[in-house]
Amino acid sequence: MKIPSQPLNQKILKYLITFLIVVGSIWSASGLEITPDRFLSAPGKIWILISAMFPLDLSQEAIDRIVPKVAESLFIAWAGTVIGAIFSFPVSFLAANNTSINTISRVTKQILNIIRAFPELILAFVLLPITGLGPLTGTLAVGIHSIGTLGKLSSEVIEGIDDGPLESIKSSGGSKLNVLFFGVVPQVMPTITSYWLYRFEINLRASAVLGIVGAGGVGAELINQLRFRDFPRAGTVLVVTILMVLIVDTISAAIRRRIIKGREIIV
Amino acid sequence: MIEFKNISVTYPGGVEALKNITLDITEGDFVIIVGMSGAGKSTLLRTINNLVKPTEGEVLVDSKNVTNASKKELKVIRSDIGMIFQTFNLVNRSSVLKNVLTGRLSQVSTIRSIFGLWPKEDKDIAFESLNKVEILEKAYVRGSNLSGGQQQRVGIARALAQKPKVMLADEPVASLDPITSRVVMKYLKQINQELGITTIVNLHFLDLAKEFGERLIGLKDGELVYDGKVNDVSDQDFENIYGRAIKSSDLLGEDE
Amino acid sequence: MNKVPKKPLPSLLAVIGYPFTIAFSIFSFFQIGFNLEDFKRNFANRRLVTDTLFNPKWDWAIENASQALIETIQIAILASILGCFIALPLSFYASRATNQTTTTYFIYKSFLNFIRTIPDLFWAMLFTVAVGLGPFAGVLALVMFSMAIMGKLLSETIDSIDLGPLEAAKASGAKHNQAVFSSALPQILPNFTAYFLYIFELCIRASVILGLVGAGGVGRIIETQRIFLRFDRISPIIIFILVIVIGIEQFSVWLRRKIL
Repeated sequence: MKIPSQPLNQKILKYLITFLIVVGSIWSASGLEITPDRFLSAPGKIWILISAMFPLDLSQEAIDRIVPKVAESLFIAWAGTVIGAIFSFPVSFLAANNTSINTISRVTKQILNIIRAFPELILAFVLLPITGLGPLTGTLAVGIHSIGTLGKLSSEVIEGIDDGPLESIKSSGGSKLNVLFFGVVPQVMPTITSYWLYRFEINLRASAVLGIVGAGGVGAELINQLRFRDFPRAGTVLVVTILMVLIVDTISAAIRRRIIKGREIIV
Repeated sequence: MIEFKNISVTYPGGVEALKNITLDITEGDFVIIVGMSGAGKSTLLRTINNLVKPTEGEVLVDSKNVTNASKKELKVIRSDIGMIFQTFNLVNRSSVLKNVLTGRLSQVSTIRSIFGLWPKEDKDIAFESLNKVEILEKAYVRGSNLSGGQQQRVGIARALAQKPKVMLADEPVASLDPITSRVVMKYLKQINQELGITTIVNLHFLDLAKEFGERLIGLKDGELVYDGKVNDVSDQDFENIYGRAIKSSDLLGEDE
Repeated sequence: MNKVPKKPLPSLLAVIGYPFTIAFSIFSFFQIGFNLEDFKRNFANRRLVTDTLFNPKWDWAIENASQALIETIQIAILASILGCFIALPLSFYASRATNQTTTTYFIYKSFLNFIRTIPDLFWAMLFTVAVGLGPFAGVLALVMFSMAIMGKLLSETIDSIDLGPLEAAKASGAKHNQAVFSSALPQILPNFTAYFLYIFELCIRASVILGLVGAGGVGRIIETQRIFLRFDRISPIIIFILVIVIGIEQFSVWLRRKIL
């Protein structure tokens, strides 16, 4: 019996990946002077910190300070998502190769890639001297980054549509605009709206962090309490933030499911 | 009504889909085009509304030159030509009514249509068309919630809503089972007879062509190999068109 | 003509959803506060940013930021590898397809969801307090970050695998863990590799800013320079990261095509 050997190509790829992972870990761990025992002691240390947070600081004063800040993060995330959605929508049609011209599509995609490469936090501190300390800067940072990510995702949705309905509208004498509004938009709208909501969930986490550079939201509150070693209050910040994120995630996920599934009878 | 004048189509890459076809189709005809897949049936059909532009020759519909028409003229000509497709081509997420109303787009201002402010006459036309193929009660149901046969009937209604002079059907029953295939063909025939709409149907199945057709056109490798009455066609003619003996897969079958 | 059917009522989601969405958006923009006077005053400062940002000081960056940049990349590599490989077994417990025990399924699923609610920099802040300032805190933060994302993506992939091979392995007498290892794991391995590359890319982006809260990497330098508005020293770092991120992205696209 002759046993066939595994194709060389696959074998090399497999060994190459394993090799890269092992060498990468060793190089990184030694460079950062991280040893296994440091890892093993970490859970104990984080447990000490968490224990120090309880009981939480639920005094009226703490709540009055923290809740508005958490709410501010929510508003930043929402307004940023709205900016991202409004601007990315038309741009995504320019970026998709089936609704645009080749050159324009390629240039737009590159621009979106560059926008996307900047983390919100970096955008925020670059904007800070121009738009001032506060939530406006945070919103713009979240909004600009969202244009990049939503633009890319939406254009991919547009590129994946079924061409059939477009041909049928064209064959009946419909204009380019007719094809866009009655062929493309109805097909892509549910998926794109659900991406908007998903982006909102991600933006909520991003906006919570922005306070670190003074761009509004709850981030500044957490870093201050941790610096002053006021752990019960830091704990309250954390718990209120987590609760809000959990609630938003749950509602948003339910709406997304409903949008994708659609309604049987529609107007 | 439709004149093909020496048309040839060569696709980018050098594939010759049609070779020097000349044909004349009279008003009110019910024409069936048969041939193997790749024989050029779909291409021929699409030169009529210029979805495919002939590389040589020209097509005239109602004495108007389609091939050299300007963009504006082409829209007007196309609005008189209804088309139905093998894959139905409905927007699945939209309601049946909205799908049928897309047949009225060329008659309604873009702004009105985008905001859904359809004139009452256009809505009435849409309802009438749905009634014609007996699917009116599904007007507000989503396209994707219909069976294949129902979707194709909506496809016919959409084409009817254009109030067309010509109806093109590109393999309308290829995705359907035998029973619904005959139902769909029956509607097409009925529309042709009652409204006098010139109808051209691409078909793969020989028995269906014999059952419903009047005039039969045979294509083989982009060339016209048969043109005559369905009643006169012999098995030898079919074998000519297909370039081989007839197989059972060329027949739809009789499970009515 | 037959009876034209009645136009159905619009859905509840539309009746409540659209007005609520618009109202909440307007309310949010008011809450953020846009003051034209303030904006004008601040906008006069724009040259502070534009003049420096588009005038990168490469020499300074190469001399002072190279070491920190390498540290950033090391943090991302170590954290994404650890996070993803910890998430690999957890994902099987957090999927209905490979874990029939409701309690443990629920515990693992909630655990992964819970970790995901805490933003990456919050983890970084917590770990700097718990284990001290420096790159180790950053690694731990990104381990949590990548573990949560991998756990979510992978467990959802496992939910949709073909259960046939798993059943076949069990029918031939394999224990549950053996069956999962031999039948379910190979099915998701290509996805795992693709997600890993995606997460590595996210970790590179995230590791740049860890230093802003003292969790190591090049962010430490960004933090000190941004306070003095030395954007000319920051922009070479940003450009360099941009190149790395785009490079990884291209590599992922290539590798994904190879393995999927």
